[in-house]
Amino acid sequence: MCLALLLLLAVVADAQQSKVSAAYTFLKSEQLDSAKASIDAAVLHPETSANGQAWYLRGFVYKSIYNKQEKVNKLSPSRLEALSSFRKSLSLDTTQENRQECIKNIKYLATTLYNDAAASLDSVEYKVAIGNFGKFKEYYLLVDPTPANIQQKDIDFTLAIASLYTKIFESDRKGKTEFLKLAKEAYNKILTIDPNNIFANYNMGILFYNQAVNLINQSDYDLDIVALNDIQDNSINLFKESLPFMEKAYELDPKRRETLLGLSGIYFSLNEFEKSNMYKQKLEEIEKHK
Amino acid sequence: MKKLLFILLFPLVLLTQSAAIRMDQAEEAGARIKAIYIYNFTKYIEWPSDYKEGNFVIGVFGTNIPLLNELNKMATSKTVGSQKLEIKNLSNPNDAAACHIVYILSDNSSQLADVVTKVKGKSALIVTDKAGMAKQGAGINFSVVENKQKIELNKANIEKYKLKVASTLVEMAVQVK
Repeated sequence: MCLALLLLLAVVADAQQSKVSAAYTFLKSEQLDSAKASIDAAVLHPETSANGQAWYLRGFVYKSIYNKQEKVNKLSPSRLEALSSFRKSLSLDTTQENRQECIKNIKYLATTLYNDAAASLDSVEYKVAIGNFGKFKEYYLLVDPTPANIQQKDIDFTLAIASLYTKIFESDRKGKTEFLKLAKEAYNKILTIDPNNIFANYNMGILFYNQAVNLINQSDYDLDIVALNDIQDNSINLFKESLPFMEKAYELDPKRRETLLGLSGIYFSLNEFEKSNMYKQKLEEIEKHK
Repeated sequence: MKKLLFILLFPLVLLTQSAAIRMDQAEEAGARIKAIYIYNFTKYIEWPSDYKEGNFVIGVFGTNIPLLNELNKMATSKTVGSQKLEIKNLSNPNDAAACHIVYILSDNSSQLADVVTKVKGKSALIVTDKAGMAKQGAGINFSVVENKQKIELNKANIEKYKLKVASTLVEMAVQVK
C-alpha cells in the first residue's frame, strides 16, 4: 500500500494532487469521512477520474470505512463502493503491482461477502444471502477466473439455499408452497451445471417423494373413493418423478444408505414390493458388513 | 496503514442438509389409503338393523403396525352413523363372528376358510389382501393395478351375509364372480 501511494503521489499533479494527498493524510489519521469527501471529489474531477491510483486509494478509504463502521452490516454500501473502486483501478492501471494490490483487496472483500451470504442463510435473511452471493461471484471472477472454481462455489451455495427453502416449506407445507417450487428450481439449476451431483439428485428425489407421501397422509378418512383415486394418481405421478433422481443417486453411489432407503420407500409406495425388498436387502447387506 | 486480514470462506456444505426418507412414512401412506377405503365400505354397505347398535367393530387378522395405527387413529375421529368405531387385532377365527368388518392381511390369508366358517349366519364383510381371495370367500379384496391400490368386489360374497352393497361401490370396483 505504501509504495503504491508513493507512486500515486508522484503522478498526480496540480490542484487534484492536493485532494488525493489530503485523502491519504485523512486516511492515515483515520478521519474517514474527510478522506471519503476528498477522494470522491478527486475521482469525479476530469484530471484524476481516469487515474488508477486515485481509484485504488478510494477503494482503500471505503474498505477502511467498511472495516471500522459497517462490518456488522451485511448490506454495507461502503464495501460495494470499495469493490467497485478496486475494479475501476484494475481497469485503469494494469501494472503488476497495482494488479496485485487490487486483487488482494477484492479477494478480501469478496470473501466477506461470501461469509455474510453464508451467515444470512435463514428464513429471514435469505434474500440478503442471495444478493451478497451474487456480488461475491461478480468480484470473485476478477480474482479467480477459473470457471470450475466459481462453479463449485455456485453449486455449494445453491445446495445450501435449496436446503433452506426445503426447511421453510416443511415448516408450513400449506402456507409456504412457493418454497417447494424454489427448492426444485434450485436443485434443477445445480443439475443443469452438474448432472452427476449426488446431493442434488437425492434431495430432488426426496422433494417429490415427500410431496407424494404428504398428499396421501393429509387426506381425510372421509375422502370419497373417486377423490381417493385422484389422490392416488397424483401421488403415483410424484413417486414416478422422484424415481429417476433417486436412481441416478444410486448409480453415483450404490452403497449410500439414504439412497437405498429412498429407493425402497419409493418402490414400496408404488406397490412394487419385490423391488422395494431388493433395495432393503442391499441395505441390510451393507449394514451387516460395517 | 493496516494490513489485509486473512479470512477464510465459510464452508457452505455445513449448511446443506439431506433429508432422509423414513420407511414408516411410506408404510403410513399405504395404510392411510386402505383406511380410507375401509371407511368408505362403511358408507357404501348397509348392515342389518340389529348390527346398528353398540360399537362398529373392525377386526384385523395379522400384524401390520402402521395399518393398525391408522385404523385406531381413524376410530378416534370417525363414527359409523351413531356407532363408535372399535378396532380389534384378532388371532382366533372364533372372534370374527363379533365383527362388522373382518380384515385378513395377506400373511394371514390361510385363515380365510376358517373365518368364512365362523361368520356363517352373521353379517360380516370379509376383506382380504391377496390375489384370488375374492373368489375364495372374501367380499372385497385389495389389489394393485398399475401401481394403484384398487379393490375387487364379489357381490355374492357380500350379500350372502345379509349386507346391502350400493351400486356406486360395485361400479368403482373390479367385479369378481
